[in-house]
Amino acid sequence: MEERPCAVLLKFPGTNCDAETARALEEVGFVTETLPVSALEPGKLVGVSLVVLSGGFSYGDYVMSGRIASLVTEQKIGKTLGDFRDNGGYILGICNGFQILTQLDLLPSGSLVENASGRFQCQWVTLKNLAPTSPFLTHLPAEFEFPIAHAEGRLVTKDAAEAAEYLSSGAAALTYRDEVNGSFERIAGLQDESGRVFGLMPHPERFLHRQDHYDPDWKSTGEDESRGSGYYFFRSLHESITKSN
Amino acid sequence: MSDSSTLSILDQIAEAPADHYRVLKISDLDGDRLLELSKFMKLSLSREDMLAIQEIYRGWEREPTDVELEVIAQTWSEHCKHRIFGATITHEINGETETVDSLFKTYIRDVSQRIFEKKPGFVLSAFHDNAGFITLDENLAVCLKAETHNHPSAIEPYAGANTGLGGVIRDILGAGKGAKPIGSLDVFCFGAPDTSMDHIKATDVIHPLGVMRGVVRGVRDYGNRMGIPTISGAIQFDDSYIYNPLVFCGTAGVIPIKDIDKKVEPGMKVISVGGRTGRDGLHGATFSSAALDTESHESDQQAVQIGNPIEEKKAADFVLAARDKGLIGFITDCGAGGYSSAAGEMLEECGGVIDLDQVKLKEPGLVSWEVFISESQERMVLAVNESALPELRKLADLYETELTELGTADGSGILKVTHHGNTVCQLDCSKLHDAPVRKLKARWEKKTGPVDAPILTKPGEELKDLFTDFAIVSREPIIREYDHEVQGNTVLKPLAGASGDAPQDASVLRISGSKRLMSMSVAILPEWGKTDPYAMGAACVDECVRQLVASGADPDRLAILDNFCMGNPEAEEELGALVETVKGIAAAAEAYGAPFVSGKDSFYNYFETEDGPVSIPVTILISGMGIIEDAAHVTGASLRRSDSLLAIIGHTQSALGGSVFARRHEIANAEVPATSLDEAFKCYRQYYEAVKEGLILSAHDVSEGGLAVTLAEAAFSGKGGLEIDLCSLPMDDDASKAAMLFGESPSRLVIEVAPENLERVAKLFEGLPFAALGRATSSHTNLVVEWGKETLINESLTDLKSLWKNGLAQYY
Repeated sequence: MEERPCAVLLKFPGTNCDAETARALEEVGFVTETLPVSALEPGKLVGVSLVVLSGGFSYGDYVMSGRIASLVTEQKIGKTLGDFRDNGGYILGICNGFQILTQLDLLPSGSLVENASGRFQCQWVTLKNLAPTSPFLTHLPAEFEFPIAHAEGRLVTKDAAEAAEYLSSGAAALTYRDEVNGSFERIAGLQDESGRVFGLMPHPERFLHRQDHYDPDWKSTGEDESRGSGYYFFRSLHESITKSN
Repeated sequence: MSDSSTLSILDQIAEAPADHYRVLKISDLDGDRLLELSKFMKLSLSREDMLAIQEIYRGWEREPTDVELEVIAQTWSEHCKHRIFGATITHEINGETETVDSLFKTYIRDVSQRIFEKKPGFVLSAFHDNAGFITLDENLAVCLKAETHNHPSAIEPYAGANTGLGGVIRDILGAGKGAKPIGSLDVFCFGAPDTSMDHIKATDVIHPLGVMRGVVRGVRDYGNRMGIPTISGAIQFDDSYIYNPLVFCGTAGVIPIKDIDKKVEPGMKVISVGGRTGRDGLHGATFSSAALDTESHESDQQAVQIGNPIEEKKAADFVLAARDKGLIGFITDCGAGGYSSAAGEMLEECGGVIDLDQVKLKEPGLVSWEVFISESQERMVLAVNESALPELRKLADLYETELTELGTADGSGILKVTHHGNTVCQLDCSKLHDAPVRKLKARWEKKTGPVDAPILTKPGEELKDLFTDFAIVSREPIIREYDHEVQGNTVLKPLAGASGDAPQDASVLRISGSKRLMSMSVAILPEWGKTDPYAMGAACVDECVRQLVASGADPDRLAILDNFCMGNPEAEEELGALVETVKGIAAAAEAYGAPFVSGKDSFYNYFETEDGPVSIPVTILISGMGIIEDAAHVTGASLRRSDSLLAIIGHTQSALGGSVFARRHEIANAEVPATSLDEAFKCYRQYYEAVKEGLILSAHDVSEGGLAVTLAEAAFSGKGGLEIDLCSLPMDDDASKAAMLFGESPSRLVIEVAPENLERVAKLFEGLPFAALGRATSSHTNLVVEWGKETLINESLTDLKSLWKNGLAQYY
């Protein structure tokens, strides 16, 4: 029997999308372990293919979002996540997880700050797939929809040129088709140079099924029209990991 | 109130055996002095209550401690004991007198009991636990609970709403051996956002706009951080809510059926999990059982707290993990009354000892009663086997929450509380159940009669006008502030349609681990109750049930909650309106077989203004849950095709009372539509047959704004225009055009069906009010409504939608 790759979901106090993210990973073929950060130590990543930082409000995000979670992670395991990536491991950060990854310097530099609207925004957005060869996006079309739900999803870089450079270098893997939250170059998701670290504000785990879409008549262009785009996101990842093993 | 230069009543009668508690010599006080003591200690106990307590202590041949008096005040408070719903009421209705021996027993419990018996196995628990459970499938049950947090939200909107939601989430965590919260609802009643400051006749009252923004943010910041989708809600705007805004928060949960029953056994350890205890939140329960005045805004700040959702999230993770490991014997939340209520509930039969020295405090120096009744947020109280403690401690460390051992259940039947080596409370709780039954008077006289409907000259303009009314405009700016999709199970979202911004009726959640789904909806119609509270009650149950059924729920598997708010129950006419409302909801619940499984009430929502007291109208929120058998049955409220046909289910009455149209035209005391309960329920069952046969594309309930608004809203999905003819509309012979277009008769649904299915659907409704109304079209994007040869309405849907979308957006 084929061995199922193992994904570890790090859970901080206030992480709240871990259950549905684990469900998504299991649906495409991962085995998962949800690891409260209190039990985190470097040895916990041995034999693991994927580390996921799921959405939520780690430590309440009362200071800059993701800040305390990144400090606690560094305090617990130092630079282990960087080594994990260098040794072929994959790291995914969704929403708050993306915010934490930017704080951990595992992604091209940038900060996720308060939306230009000054509001929490729960809505669906159309995304442009700028990195169709990314291990996270191979099964997704040039444009697709995911839901977002965040107050601090505006990606800002040190200057406009840096964001533009992310577009040309391929670091900006996903952009919003329309103006959503004031992100520079409308960037919605970033990947690192290895392609194995990926962060995005939208929530693929909320769109596993056709019925998750707000329009009851929506149909996937993927091979199974009962699936949602989020399913294809996780399936891309599973396929990339099983191929690379 | 005593002068600061003289000794207070408390000081005059107190003896202090130690500096942390007092013994109060009440046995010789007369009624006036007892009442003075109640007021001074903010116990919110009446003269009769105090006299009854005095009698109890005379029987015990001792004096109470301050801790005991506080415990009894909590136990007997309106908030905890529902004294008014248990009262004996002499009710005069249109000149006839009747006696109601407990509204709760007569109209809520007994009605529900009869339904339980007709549907064995459906309701698994009701009224006694934190929330009522109904069967989802062979393994799982779902529950729903709603609470109000009105007074705190009036004084501090953000914090009041914040802790209101936090509190009801804990109710779910404390239901059974711990249910998982899966969705929340929030219903608000405010003054209009554009209320002029001159219109507010009291100082220190927060403007409705400030209340609204604060409340929404409070709900947002708690619900979103807890990771519970806020999926359902409603807002009413009316002047009468300026001084007393209403904030209802509700949460649904899911639990394995085997974990519903819970029991405290002698020898179990009582533990507390979560936040620490402080002086914040003293007297919340008794405070919410009294009226507000300007002074409240200064003196009662102490009763309102700021929530800490992450503290609660950690406790929630702990509770659910502990439940799954089978480590919980009994659990309840720390809500009103703090440890005194929680431990009281837990130990009232078994008895036990609580040691206040073990309680972890936020600040030093709290005296005994403060520790015991503090309502500090984010605390859960559990009873567990001693052998489970090591594993529970490990779990608490894992989820970074604080676990404190408070005491032991001992089988003595006595609630004993110790502090600094002294016994500060020793009560036989079984002796405290019988708070004096209140005797109240109520009166109601019919207020409505026939009124000539205004002649409509430009119905299209009327429709546009309605789409600017606060009762109708889109709640989108608020809905988007709530994460309504976290947990990844929100199948039918609060915003619908091909562009995701059209109105939805009920919301539907997928339940992990089940093929079945759960629908949730709310109904609130305070305008109706101003002149016809009975009609309001029936119509609220009808609207809630109708929305659940419209979304695909089985009409025979629904359960509802009743949450009441009113002004002064000692005012006969106000109480009369309450009695009539209760009768209305009871009649509808019984006819629909939709039992009440939980409920709550809030009194004294009145305010002393410069112009005298202002009470809110009697307000009933009916919220409900329904079981959806199959994902294929889920039906949204938005038009899906441009080649489909539309039909209406239900009868249109001539009565205009209660409608937004009537209010905008200042039509006073018009007859309010009655609900034909039996006919309506037959329609819902036939509708469900149509759903199961896959014949319904979409269905939208006819509510605020009437049929014309409903049609336009359905078409806000952007799929096409509508061509409607009302010539065969089932209606009263004397129904005016205004009633046809804008009347708000209950029990009506507009449905969308494919052309080839209309005949089959019509056959299902033979003998029931049903008519084809027209069709969707791709040839234009207007709402065209004709009546025979006369065109009543021909308006651009884009323009109507833009009015509807911007109505609230400019204020939020």
